[in-house]
Amino acid sequence: MIRTLIAITAATTLLVAGCTSLPSDSTRLEGRTAPVEYNTVVFTDYDLSRTWTQGILGSGQTYRLSVENHGRRRTETGTTEVYAVLRNHTDFDYRIEARTQFFDEDGVPVDAKPVWQRSTIPANSVSAYKTLSTGTQSLQYRVEVRELE
Amino acid sequence: MKMESRKAVLLGMVSASLLLAGCAGQIDNTRGKATVYEDASTTGRVGGVGIESQDIVAVTDEMMRDMLANRMLAGRDIPPRIIIDNEYMRNESSSVVNTNMLTDRLRIELNRASNGRMIFVGREYAAMVQKERDLKRDGAVDGGTIRETAAQAGADYRLAGRITSLDAADRSDGTQSRYSQISFEMVDMELGTIIWSGLYEMRKAGRDDVVYR
Repeated sequence: MIRTLIAITAATTLLVAGCTSLPSDSTRLEGRTAPVEYNTVVFTDYDLSRTWTQGILGSGQTYRLSVENHGRRRTETGTTEVYAVLRNHTDFDYRIEARTQFFDEDGVPVDAKPVWQRSTIPANSVSAYKTLSTGTQSLQYRVEVRELE
Repeated sequence: MKMESRKAVLLGMVSASLLLAGCAGQIDNTRGKATVYEDASTTGRVGGVGIESQDIVAVTDEMMRDMLANRMLAGRDIPPRIIIDNEYMRNESSSVVNTNMLTDRLRIELNRASNGRMIFVGREYAAMVQKERDLKRDGAVDGGTIRETAAQAGADYRLAGRITSLDAADRSDGTQSRYSQISFEMVDMELGTIIWSGLYEMRKAGRDDVVYR
């Protein structure tokens, strides 16, 4: 009797513990339906970072990488340089791809077609991603990060 | 031979004939693998350790953006005249790659993005231009509608570059590794100085049996 109770308790605990984290393919992740924001860095690969508000135990977040800092500045020719400092919280090197889409002040996509840049973030370390715009107008940016396939 | 034995031999021969007939069939009725379009800027289904489409797109994109942030190239009141072609781009690596893909994409993307901040000289087309100029000067055709110039455009800068590689192989499991380096340098065509440099490097490892052509 006691053994059965222990087994049921253990199973329930494991089940609840499992449910505290929504999987990366869940349709209830915040990132899937969040409005597109400018001047931001997003993980389009939910294996790297994901947040939710409607889990069994409420809201939560699971991440392997995070954004430490990001911003933009003008170069000496008037183009825009965008940077993002990414932090790896795991014991494994992560090979990622990142790209930046540029928008003008009205939210219209401008500049050259964004291209994925490959980079490695060493285990438990930080790494900077940088890119430049081609135009000289004032721009907003959206950096997308995913794990390299 | 007994009747039973004859039947067994006959059955064996018929089976063998059917088997051989099956193997010799001319029609392969299996469904083919449909061709699919892939994003040229990402790793595709077929990938090896050589320079591939995603590398060409990434390297030219990075160099283009870097050049447009350089004051000597994109910040002058009078736009500089630049030659970007394959003449001085050398492939010294073990990767099979047509270097025209690098220089063509770089020149075209730069020309579109620079929007007049740089002027590109088509030295590759000099003979074509000269032929038309001669026809105009000889009176065989009229002078066109734009203007006449004393000569074709001279260049301020010209792009040179090199692809090099370092290969390694693990003989125990067949894994190959290749470190590739693609360098670009913009040379002042009067003074010979290098006014801008760009370097792209990568290392790939794999056991895929990929053939580049």
